[in-house]
Amino acid sequence: MNYNLNTADPMIMWIDLNSAFATAEQQAHHSLRGKPIGVTNRLSKECCVIAASYEAKALGIKVGCRRTEAMALCPNFIMLESDPPKYHTVYEKLLSIMKDYSPNVKMKSIDEGIIDFSGSQPLRKGRSLQDIGQEIKQRVRNEIGDYTRVNIGIAPNRFLAKTAAGLHKPDGLDTIDHQNLVDVYKSLKLEDLNGIAEGYGSRLRAHNIFTPLQFLRADKDLLSKRVFKSINGLHWYNRLRGFEADDYQTQLGMVGRQWVVKKPTSDDRYLRSCLHFLAETTAMKLRYRNVEARGVCVWLSFNNGEFFTDKKMYKTTCYTNQDIWLRVSRLFNNRPEHLIVRTMGLYLYKLSPSTRNQQSLFREVQNADFLTKAVDEINDYYGTFTIYSAETLEGTRNVKQKIPFGGTEYFNLLLKRA
Amino acid sequence: MDPTIKLNERVDIVALYRKDGDIATLAFPCKMKYKGRDITFTKLGMRHPTAQGKRMIHVFDVTDGSNDYRLEFNAESLIWTLVAVIPGSLS
Repeated sequence: MNYNLNTADPMIMWIDLNSAFATAEQQAHHSLRGKPIGVTNRLSKECCVIAASYEAKALGIKVGCRRTEAMALCPNFIMLESDPPKYHTVYEKLLSIMKDYSPNVKMKSIDEGIIDFSGSQPLRKGRSLQDIGQEIKQRVRNEIGDYTRVNIGIAPNRFLAKTAAGLHKPDGLDTIDHQNLVDVYKSLKLEDLNGIAEGYGSRLRAHNIFTPLQFLRADKDLLSKRVFKSINGLHWYNRLRGFEADDYQTQLGMVGRQWVVKKPTSDDRYLRSCLHFLAETTAMKLRYRNVEARGVCVWLSFNNGEFFTDKKMYKTTCYTNQDIWLRVSRLFNNRPEHLIVRTMGLYLYKLSPSTRNQQSLFREVQNADFLTKAVDEINDYYGTFTIYSAETLEGTRNVKQKIPFGGTEYFNLLLKRA
Repeated sequence: MDPTIKLNERVDIVALYRKDGDIATLAFPCKMKYKGRDITFTKLGMRHPTAQGKRMIHVFDVTDGSNDYRLEFNAESLIWTLVAVIPGSLS
C-alpha cells in the first residue's frame, strides 16, 4: 500500500534525558544508584513524585504518584527534595554538547531537545547521524557523568524522532524513516504515539481507528473533517508520514504562579502575605520576559471543595510590583473570607511587548519605573529577595520556588532563587 | 523517606586540581578531616556551581566508597562546608 511517506533523509535528532532529575541524583550520589528513588518539589507526607528512577518505574511508581502510594508499592522507596542547580548543570552540559553539532538546536524542556541537521552536511564531514548519536552518548557519559544515559531518536520530523527516542529506553538509539515506519507503527499502540492520550484515543476509536497503522491508513478528510474536526487532522496526517508539522513558535499567553498553602487557613494576614509574594515573583517573571499585562486573575480553592475565581481586564498595562499587587489585592478582597484556603494562584494575561523604554510624561509613573529597575538590579546582583516588600515577609519564608515543567525560558531566572 | 543527614559543619579538606585536557581543570576534594577522622574520597559524583547572590558556591557530591557526602566550597571566603551525608547502608 502506498502511504505517501516522506522519503527524505532523516535529519532531526531528538535527545531525551529520561528520568532526568532522578538520574541526576543517582549520578551525584553513588549510594542511590540501582535503587528506587523519586524526586519531589517539597517533602511532605502527601507529596508527589515529579521524577522517578528507572528502578522505581519498574515497580509501578510513576510521575504523579503520591509518597504514601509509592511507599505502599515499595517500602524502601527513597524520596528526595529537588535540587534545581544540579539539574541546571546537567541541562547546560547537555545543551553545550548538542550545540557542538549544529547551530540549529532547540530545547523542548529541561531534559530534552532537538538537533536539526538539515543543511549541515559540511559540518558532519560525511559522518552518519547514527555515528554522531553514538558520539553524543559517549560525551554525555564523559562530560555529565558515567551513570547518565540518553535516548536518541533520529527521523525526518520531530514527532517521529521523539517516537524513535522512546523505543528502547533508557539507553536507546533508533532511527525511523520511510523504510521502517510501518514496522514501527505495527509494534505500537495508539496511546504510545506522542500527543495521543485518552481523549484523542477515544475519538479515534469512535471512528474505527484502533491502531497506529489504521491511523496511518486513515483518509485526510476523515481526520480533518470527522475525527479532529480542525486543522489538527491535517497535521496528524502529515506528522504520521514523516512530514514536519511541529516546527512552529508558540506565543506566550499568560504568566502566573500557584501555591499549595502550607498550612490551610483563612487567616487574612498570612494569605495576603503569601499571595503578595506570588504576585511579586509573577511580576518578576513578567519583566524577565519583557512583556506587560492588562488582564489579572486570582483563584483560590477551599478545603470544603469550593472554588473562587475573579478576573479583570484593565485599559492600561502593568508590570511593576506595586501595580500588579494593587490589581491582584482588589480581586483577592472579593473572596469569601470565612473559608479555609487550600490552594491559591494568580495569572496575568493579555500580554503585550514592554514599552518600558518609552519614558512617561508623568513623574509618578517614572518614579515607579525607576524604583522597579533599581530593585531588580540590586536583587539581580545580590540575590533575589535581597529587597522585597515588607508584607511579603511571611510569604518569603513559606513559598518555595519549584521546578517548572515544559518551557526552559524561566530556568535561569529561577536559579537565582534556588 | 529522604535518607539525607544534614550537618552544615566546616571541615578541613585536601583538594586536588588536576589538568583535564588542554583547557579544563578538574577540582576534586580528596580527603576530609571530620570529627577527628580522616575520610578519603574515591569518586566524584557531580560538581555543580550555584550562585548565592554574588557569591559562587561550588557543590561537590563525592563518595568514600560507602557513604555519600555533599561538600560546598565558598569561592569567595574559601571555606569548605560538609553540608550533608547520605549513609551508604540504605536497603
